[in-house]
This record gives sequence, structure tokens and C-alpha cells, in this order.
Amino acid sequence: MYKRQAIKDVGRETSMFFARCIVALLIVFILLLVLISRQFKLQVLDYEKYQTQSENNRISIQSVAPVRGLIYDRDGKLLAQNRSIFTLEITPEQTRDLPKLVQELRKVLSISDEQVLKFLEQIKFRPKFNSYVLKSNLTEEEVAKFSVVQHMYPGASLEARLERYYPYKDELVHVLGRMGAINVEELEAMDEETRLRYAATSKIGKLGLERYYESILHGEVGSQRVETDVRGRIIRVLERDEPVAGMDIHLYLDLGLQRKATQLMKEVGARGSIVAVDPATGGVLAMVSQPGYDPNLFTGGISSEDYRKLLTPERPLYNRAVQGTYSPASTIKPHLAWIGLKEGVITPDTKVRDPGWFSLPNNDRRYRDWKRWGHAPYMDVVDSIIESCDTFFYDLAVRIGIDRIHDGMMQFGFGQKTGIDMEEEKIGILPSREWKRSARKEPWYNGDTVNIGIGQGYWTVTPLQLANATAVLANDGIRYQLQLVREFVDGNIHEQNVPVMAYHQIEVGDGRWLDLVKESMRDVITGTKGTARSAFQGAEYIAAGKTGTAQVKSLGEEEEYDAETLAEKFHDNALFIGYAPYESPQIAIAVVMENAGGGGSNAAPIARKLMDYYLIEQYQESEETTEPEVETNGTAQ
Amino acid sequence: MALLNSTANSHKERYSLLWRWHIDAPLLLGIIALMCFSLLAVYSAGGESIALVKRQAVRFAAGLVVMFVLAQFEPRTFRQWAPALYAVGIIFLLAVIFFGESSKGAQRWIDIGIRFQPSEIMKLAVPLMVAWYFAEKALPPSFLQTIGSLVLVLTPVVLIMLQPDLGTSLLIGASGLFVVFFAGIRWRYILGAILIAAVLIPIMWYFVMHDYQKGRVLTFLNPERDPLGAGYHIIQSQIAIGSGGIYGKGWLNGTQSQLEFLPERHTDFIFAVIGEEFGLVGIVLLLSLYAFVIVRGIYISLQGQETFSRLLGASLILTFFIYIFVNIGMVSGLLPVVGLPLPLISYGGTSIVTLMAAFGILMSIQTHRRLHST
Repeated sequence: MYKRQAIKDVGRETSMFFARCIVALLIVFILLLVLISRQFKLQVLDYEKYQTQSENNRISIQSVAPVRGLIYDRDGKLLAQNRSIFTLEITPEQTRDLPKLVQELRKVLSISDEQVLKFLEQIKFRPKFNSYVLKSNLTEEEVAKFSVVQHMYPGASLEARLERYYPYKDELVHVLGRMGAINVEELEAMDEETRLRYAATSKIGKLGLERYYESILHGEVGSQRVETDVRGRIIRVLERDEPVAGMDIHLYLDLGLQRKATQLMKEVGARGSIVAVDPATGGVLAMVSQPGYDPNLFTGGISSEDYRKLLTPERPLYNRAVQGTYSPASTIKPHLAWIGLKEGVITPDTKVRDPGWFSLPNNDRRYRDWKRWGHAPYMDVVDSIIESCDTFFYDLAVRIGIDRIHDGMMQFGFGQKTGIDMEEEKIGILPSREWKRSARKEPWYNGDTVNIGIGQGYWTVTPLQLANATAVLANDGIRYQLQLVREFVDGNIHEQNVPVMAYHQIEVGDGRWLDLVKESMRDVITGTKGTARSAFQGAEYIAAGKTGTAQVKSLGEEEEYDAETLAEKFHDNALFIGYAPYESPQIAIAVVMENAGGGGSNAAPIARKLMDYYLIEQYQESEETTEPEVETNGTAQ
Repeated sequence: MALLNSTANSHKERYSLLWRWHIDAPLLLGIIALMCFSLLAVYSAGGESIALVKRQAVRFAAGLVVMFVLAQFEPRTFRQWAPALYAVGIIFLLAVIFFGESSKGAQRWIDIGIRFQPSEIMKLAVPLMVAWYFAEKALPPSFLQTIGSLVLVLTPVVLIMLQPDLGTSLLIGASGLFVVFFAGIRWRYILGAILIAAVLIPIMWYFVMHDYQKGRVLTFLNPERDPLGAGYHIIQSQIAIGSGGIYGKGWLNGTQSQLEFLPERHTDFIFAVIGEEFGLVGIVLLLSLYAFVIVRGIYISLQGQETFSRLLGASLILTFFIYIFVNIGMVSGLLPVVGLPLPLISYGGTSIVTLMAAFGILMSIQTHRRLHST
């Protein structure tokens, strides 16, 4: 071979190479043993551990949200439905770097800072294996855009979800309420069991019926064991425990009447409230608070810009029917008259001198009648109701005394909740000595009682209370608990459930007094001097009612009320209560219009039109009424 | 000569055809068995993609052709080419540093019509060069000769490190050092080198290694440090292997791989797919095939009658093993994550061709040896 160096020793080199190969092989086998023992450790000794981890990777348990119950009016017209929308959702558990993912997604879709903040608030205290909405109501274009790149964003997915939709928007918002994302406070208020029920639910009833009947509408959560891939896509469903849809709710509400009432208020540009009640049941036929707003804005999370638009002086978010407290003004004169008659303070023949003002003995202060020169030299109770004579009722109130007024008015439901199925209900103020002592730290003066006689002063009522008190008269003394919901229907088993009707029979005493008051109220409408006569001219039925005009600003003794010079917010509130038909009442109405002027000329005509509609027109009307488009797809059941 | 030839022929009558084509049948058998294993695993790891399997098969075919062609040359020819190949490799490495294209934060590619990694050349060029260097020297080498060989090894290693590609540079360095080892370098030098390495490691840590490389090491030491980032690979691959148990979940039934929890399933982490689907039994079978190929390679090297052939053959086969060890060690959590494929099993491009070229050289060593025995 190529031996140039004499010192090269082939034999020695060969044996040395052989030795080195043996060493190399030895090392190779030792290392192979290391590898095998490592696999033995993983696959045999730690098998259980890795087997479990592999199963945990593969299988996840997901909660399945139930379908929310629907809300219908008395005729089965759908008022609150579920509409399918596309949402962009994130399952925190499946993301590697959540903030980064959100940041990346914002490059693809327009997602506002607000939506991000809402999403982050939502996930804070909730299980990481469920998915939460980052952006809802994706357009078709956005859906298409995202579908293409979805695989690049593990943890983010497009979901078709059912979302609440209110086809009648602002017309029913103050009855139905609205939905919104579950917030931290609501979550913290839930017990463990409720929290589990809401595991897959992202929206909760925030107001109105949606809030009051949340537990009935919500339904029972389901669950499924699924095999998912690394991106959380469901490969197959291994087991499924179906969710149970929430119960449907049917209301007493008459959609036509509700819409008519809203429309009438809108036509005259009025702020205020209308409540119509079925005297025979206490069921609420219409409950309007004007202005309203579109609750659908809130369902997917309202933008702060849209929200700011709702914070106007007209206060559309404010539910006047339930939370608004107003001086009842003359509308409570029939009730006061009845208390006076029942208590024997007056008789039908009692006459009071009416010089156009009233004053307490030993006091110079004059309490003026709205008619400056008085109605007649002497007024009795019937004429005083018909003409709404203030002087008579100043005198009557003082004669009855605040204690008996308070107790008597309690019987009509003032100073307490009507019990309507709304959590937001306010009670107003039914003044009493105790009330004044604790609220005002002052004793009760006789002068306070004078103002109570015409429903002014400290006394405030809600439109609901007013309608209810009207129904009590129409009902000959039976006071029902007001109720929006007529029945619950479990769509799964077709079982109906009627809430218990609670009622209270007031101590009527001599029935003649009630009849006398009712007749007077009828003559408010039919009598030649009735304050609501012109409003009800030519009505095809006989109604009974009472007008009211509430001063918003107290005027000085010699001050004249002049709408021209007074700022609009100090204009009188117009009120009217009434029921019809007189003989067999089917509807009792209370109308309150803020700063609208006189009750007889402003509130009474609206009540008239609603009674016309409810008693006559709705049976004549063809199907021509304009219905908003109710989407049929995506509704539950 | 004639006598030897006739005994060889009578002895290897069954392989006479393969013998004439300069193919070592046992080695070929082992390689083809591994290739079949690879195709099964790639089919499963690639989500049952036939296209992927076809592409892998095409690469194998190309590799076999390269192997077959190289086997036709005499080892002497490789020895003649060695300095030229080494020089070209060094030039390319320099070119990469100055003109290379960057991919994943490291410059490894160079564009000369087709894009390729010059470090692939060096996987063969370095052992060839060092074997060439020792071919005519009296062994064991003297101290100066050892230093000379180390310069030959370390030059490309440093250049590749600068790209930077730590994993490849270390493995190429290893392939050169194996030649030095087989050349009979004295044990005391080896011990000395180990000591120097012990000193160098902290220096490397602070001055040479990039943050991503440090991260890999730290994560290797404690995967839970970053369970969703770098540690995710290691955790998921250990879950895959461990959940396979003794018998495996069955072919195509590995949930870790089929549901894509396992990253880089068909490339660097394919061993985890095998562990999950075929269990410990499958792994032992795979390692046995590898052991067979390695033992055969060492056997061939021992048969070599020239210093050059012996040193080269033994170094190539030991390098082959080091790739296996590093990859499996990494996938099963014994070593930090380095981007190395599992030889002959992972789905992948140039590395298959380089590997098959090495087997071609081994076959050449085996089948040409008698011609020089006179």
C-alpha cells in the first residue's frame, strides 16, 4: 500500500481500530439501553399518568346553553323571540396567549376596545373551558372573511348562537325589559348551583319581565362530552345531556292596545305613561312608558355612543309606568269622596260653600280652587266630583283627617306595591304622620291635609297604582294584584301553569256610597258639566272616569298659572283615570302625561281612543295593521 | 486474488447479483425495513395523506439511487475528492455568512439555482477530510497531528455556529471527532478535551448561545416553565409516548397525533407518533432495526483494509447513531429540543439524500475491498 512512513505499523493499527470499534459499540449499546429505559419509564411506569393526560387533552366536557323561553301576548303574538346570529367566540383554555390572540383578531375584524373590555370582564371569574363572545352579530362578509383564516387562531371560533330579539323594539321595552351580558356583580350574586346552570349562558335578563322571570325563561343547562382536536374543534360528540328549554310566557297584554297607546303618545309627543288593566283579573292589558328605546341595542352589548344617545332629558331608559311617581291630582277625588261617605264625615246631601277658595280656621292662607270664582255658591259631593271642585275636597280632606285618608287609600293600593311582576316597581308616597316624622323630621300640619284633598302635596303615586285603584272602583271593591303574565307554557311537555291570582276585598261598607261615586264618575263623562265630556262625545259605550291636572310647580297664593310664561318642565301634568263599559267594566285605564297641560283636554282623549280601540275597533279591524317583520327562522321551538 | 474472489463468490452466491452491483445486502435490507417503517408512520402522522407518503417514497427512491451510484466508486475515489469537497464546503459556508438567505432567524440557505444548505455537504465532507488527513499517517496520531485534525474539524464547526445552527455544527463536529477517535487518539487527550468542554460550556452559555437556544435548554430542564410555549412540544410528545403504553393505541389511532396535539408530528417528532401508536413493542422493534444497521456498519468498517475506509466508515455509522440518539432523546425528554430529524424515519428533504450518500460510501467500502487486497 502507500507506505511512505516507515513507522506505520499496520498490525498495531488494526488491533487498535478493532478495540476502538468495540468501545464505540459498547457506548452505542449503553445509549440504546438508556433510550429504551426512558421509553420504559414513560410507557410502563408512568403509563397511567400520561394516559390520563392524553384523555384530558382529547376529551372535554362542554356546557350546552338552553333555549330561552319565548314571550307572547294574549293572542299568541310573539313579542320576544330568539334569532340566530353569528358570534366570534374565544375559549380561553384553548388559547396559548390570550391577549396576543385578541390583538391578532383585531387585525382581521373590527373589534372595538369596548368589546375587548367586556369580553375580558366576562371571562374573569368563569370557567376557562367554555367559550365567550368577543364580537356578536357578525355580518355575512365578516363571517366569510374569518372562516378562511380561522385555522390560524386556535381558541377562536365562529358560533351560530340564538340571541334575543324584540320585533316591537321600543314599543314594548318597558314591559319586556332587555337582555345583556352577565356581569361580575350578577355572577357573584349567584350561588354555586345557579352558576352551574349558567355555565353556557352569556346573557341574562336585566330589566322588566326578562329579569323578573329569568329563572323560568332560562331553562336548564345541558352538557356534552366531546372529543376535540388541538384547536378545540369538535371531532365527535361522545355523550350528550340535552339542555331543557326555558318555559314560554303568555301575557295578558294586548299587543294592539299597547301599540295603539304608544302611537297615541308619540303622536302628541308626550312623555308619560299609560296603564290599562283588566278589572276582572288584574291582568295588565297595556303598559306604556314613553319615550322608550330599542332594547335590541343592548343584547349584543351597547356601544357607549349609542348609550350616550339614550341619556337625554326625556329619559327613555326610565320606566315611568313602574318607577314614575306623580301627584295623582284630582284623579283620587272619587276615592276620597268614598272614604268620606263611608266614614260618615259627609252624606250625599252635605254642601260646602265655594267662594273659589278654602281656608283653615284661624288661618289667612287661601287654598284656591282651579276655578277662580268658584263653581257654585254651594257644592255637594256628586257635583264636586263631576266638576272637580277643589274647595269641596279641601274641606273634605280636613274633615276626614290624614289618618283615615291614609288608611282608606291603602285599601285602594296606594302606598304599597301593586305586586306586578316587575322588580323595579316603586311605591311612591302615601303620606301619613309617621311618614312625615321619619322622612321630613317634622310634625304633620293641617295645611298638609288640605293639599292631600286634591291629590297634591306630598302624595305621589305610580301610574300602575292609579290604574289599579281605578280597577278597584270598577270592581266594586276587589283589588287584584296586578299581573303581566297570564300563564307559563312548558313547550317540552305542553303543560300550562297559571300564576296564582291574588286579590283583596276592601271593606266596602254601605254599597250605596260606592254606587254614588261611580255614578259621579260616569257623569264626569256624560254629564253636561263633566270635565271629560268633550273627550268622550259620541262614544258608543258608557264610560266612567276622572280627570286630573297636577301642578308641577307650586304657585304662590296670588300667582296665575300661565303656560306661556312657564318653562315647559313646570307645565302641569295631565292625568286621567277611567273604565268602561260602565255596567260591566272590561278595561280600566290610567293616563299620565308629563307637562302636557289639563287632564280633561289632553289625557282624557287618549283614554277615549284606547277604549274605542279595545271595546270596538279591534273587532272591526282587518289584518291591515302594520306588523314589524317577525323572523320565523331561528325562533325556538 | 482469484482464490479469494471465488470463495467470496461461492460464499455469497445468493447475493451475487447485488454483490456485482456493489450493494451490501444486509445493510440494504435494514435500510429498506426502516424506510417501510417510515412510510407507515408518515401516513399516520400526516393525517392519512397519501400525497405525503408518495413524496417521502420519491425521496427514498432518490436516496437509493444516490446510494447506488456512490457505491459504484472505489473508496480511493472518495479519498481523492475529499480535499476538494471540503474546500467547496468551506467556500459555501463563507458565502452563506456573507450572502445567505435567512430563514427562521438563522442564515442556513444559499441560492445557487436550487436552494440548499451547505452544512449538508459538510456532514460528509468533514469526516472525509479528516479520514483523508489520517490516511497515510502512522497511528495513533502525534499531538501535533491531533491538533491539525482538530483544526480541520473546528473550522467548519465554527462557521456553521455563526449561521447560527448550533445543533448541526455540534453533530458535524462529532462526525469529525469520531474519525479522530477511531484514529486512536490517546485517552488522556480525550479526558483533557472533556475537561476543556466543561470549562467551555458556561462560556458558550454567556457569549455564544442565542436566547432561543438558551430557552430550549432551560425548558428542557423544566418543561413546565413554559407549558404552552417551548415546553409544549416536550410535554405533548411525552404524553404521546407515555399514553401509548406497551402495545400502543394502534396504527392511525393515536389521539395525540391524530387530533394534532403533537406538534411537528411527521418531521422531528415522528418518534412520538410511533411510540403512541405502536407502544414500547414498536419502539424496541425500531431500535433493533437501527442497532442492526449500526452493527453492520461497524462490521463493514472493521473489514476495511485501508485506514481511510475504516476511519470514514466507522465515523459515518457512529454519526448515524448520534442523530438517532439525539432525536429520540429530545422527543422523549432526555435532551433539549434541537431541530433534528429521526434518520430514515422523519419526513424530510436533503437529510435523506445525505444519509443515503453515507450508506453509499459504506457499501463502496464493503464491496470494493478485495480489489485492493493484493
